[in-house]
Amino acid sequence: MENVIEIRNLTKYYGSFFWKKPTPALDNLTLDIPMGAVFGFLGPNGAGKTTTIKLLMDLIKPSGGEASILRCAPENVEIKKQIGFLPDEPVFSSYLSANEFLNICAKLLGIPSSERKGRIAEVLKIVKMTKHAKSKLGGFSRGMVQRIGIAQAIINRPKLLILDEPLVGLDPHGRQEFKDIILQQKASGTSVFFCSHILSDVETICDYLGILNEGKLLCAGKLDDLLQNTGLSLHIQPGHDEIAKKLLSDASETVKLPDGGWNLIFANKKEVKQTLLGIKERHKDVVTMIPAKENLEKFFFRKIADATKTN
Amino acid sequence: MKGMNEIAAIAGGTWNRILRMRVVYVLIACVLALIGSAYRYDVLSLGQHKALMVDVSLLLNTIAAILVAISITFEISREFREGVATTLLSKSLGRTQYLIGKLIGISIAGIVITGLIAVGFGLIFSSAFDKIGQEMIVGHLLIMASVIPMSALAILFAVLLPESVAAIVTAIVIWFAHSTTALTNIKIVYGGILPDLNLFNLKAEAAYSSGGISWVYMVLVLAWGIVYSVFTTSLAGIIFGNKDLK
Repeated sequence: MENVIEIRNLTKYYGSFFWKKPTPALDNLTLDIPMGAVFGFLGPNGAGKTTTIKLLMDLIKPSGGEASILRCAPENVEIKKQIGFLPDEPVFSSYLSANEFLNICAKLLGIPSSERKGRIAEVLKIVKMTKHAKSKLGGFSRGMVQRIGIAQAIINRPKLLILDEPLVGLDPHGRQEFKDIILQQKASGTSVFFCSHILSDVETICDYLGILNEGKLLCAGKLDDLLQNTGLSLHIQPGHDEIAKKLLSDASETVKLPDGGWNLIFANKKEVKQTLLGIKERHKDVVTMIPAKENLEKFFFRKIADATKTN
Repeated sequence: MKGMNEIAAIAGGTWNRILRMRVVYVLIACVLALIGSAYRYDVLSLGQHKALMVDVSLLLNTIAAILVAISITFEISREFREGVATTLLSKSLGRTQYLIGKLIGISIAGIVITGLIAVGFGLIFSSAFDKIGQEMIVGHLLIMASVIPMSALAILFAVLLPESVAAIVTAIVIWFAHSTTALTNIKIVYGGILPDLNLFNLKAEAAYSSGGISWVYMVLVLAWGIVYSVFTTSLAGIIFGNKDLK
């Protein structure tokens, strides 16, 4: 599969002076991000996520290693016409209106003047800011600025969207809308690389994941492959409570669903598996069994804890 | 030309910002009021009020040009600090293009502001005395042109130095470059590393109408200013090209 981002031994040190030992913000990062993926980049504060993004956008210079973005070096200015970028804590020229600001962005991205007006109206509609098009950015709330940030990131219909903490500052409704925008972008063929602290959001929209800690990559890959099978999950259709009741004592987690069905989670033990296979065989039409996956939150904390122990 | 649209976008944003500031128009009004008030100094100046008005107009226009040029150090530093530059440079915009856009934008704003002062002076002078002389026109045109090398210097210091000192250093350097002829023997300072902004100063010739000033002189000084600005902006581009942004 073709990669949209390829990073090889990328290293960044800050604060190197004669008398001061440099601090590694990023330590030999090697990472590939496949085309069409929604890649979630996770890590605690100071892990090096924003540093990685800034290196990819050529906003800071690497101390070592190299990266390519859409098969070009980050210094290639032309390639940025195919990239959308939302910085961490976006700040835009406060004296400009949303329309004026987006017009400057469109000019900088080489969008022809005949298309600019229509494209600006389109992205303002996507981020639900049409009625604020003529308002000055200086009067916008954090959430509104974030929406304009998203609008400027997608105005050029990018092949790759790089987002640094995109969900910060948005209310729950805004977060949902934003997740929908990411999924729409993915559906239209855009690859997305974003970092976030909100694990539940990452779990719902990402298909690939990387975890960074203290500048080092702890793991990266397909989300489904990374999350371990921790047991077995049994789903019982509504109206078959008698089957569920027989199994309740053995289950490690039980959930009665709103429709009257049951979800039961069992530890991955040989004797339990035999029992469950027997039940599944007897009630083929009403019982389904799938491997139970670890959730992202547990996985994330386990990885960070393991890394801390190793260090 | 490749990259011109991007430069024009940055230049447009910059000069729009400056010309939207109310303080700019207050500054122009104050300067014109001071120039006009020179007419009332006939007794105090022992009848030299005509020369005084020309001198005051050139001096105040020079100060306005310096203020506009220094303002770009604050503008660039603010864009670095707040992260506005980060957003702009994440688009298809090279770092040198960003600086050239800033230089062109601030130069246009400076030329418009000093031009308005020059036109205001022309109207005041011609209604108070007689029609303005060629020396006065060239004097004001050169002040308008001096905005270009001064802005280039301001941009260099804005990318080279921390925000708190960039404006101060720019002001000191511009003052040195405009200052007395006492330092002209220090070759490395004048006509070398620092610009010789005295080339743009025709106060004596304009105030006392000491013969016509050649238009060729004006063109040569303008050409020198542009060459110096290209050199300074290129140097700023090299420094900025290796700088980490917030």
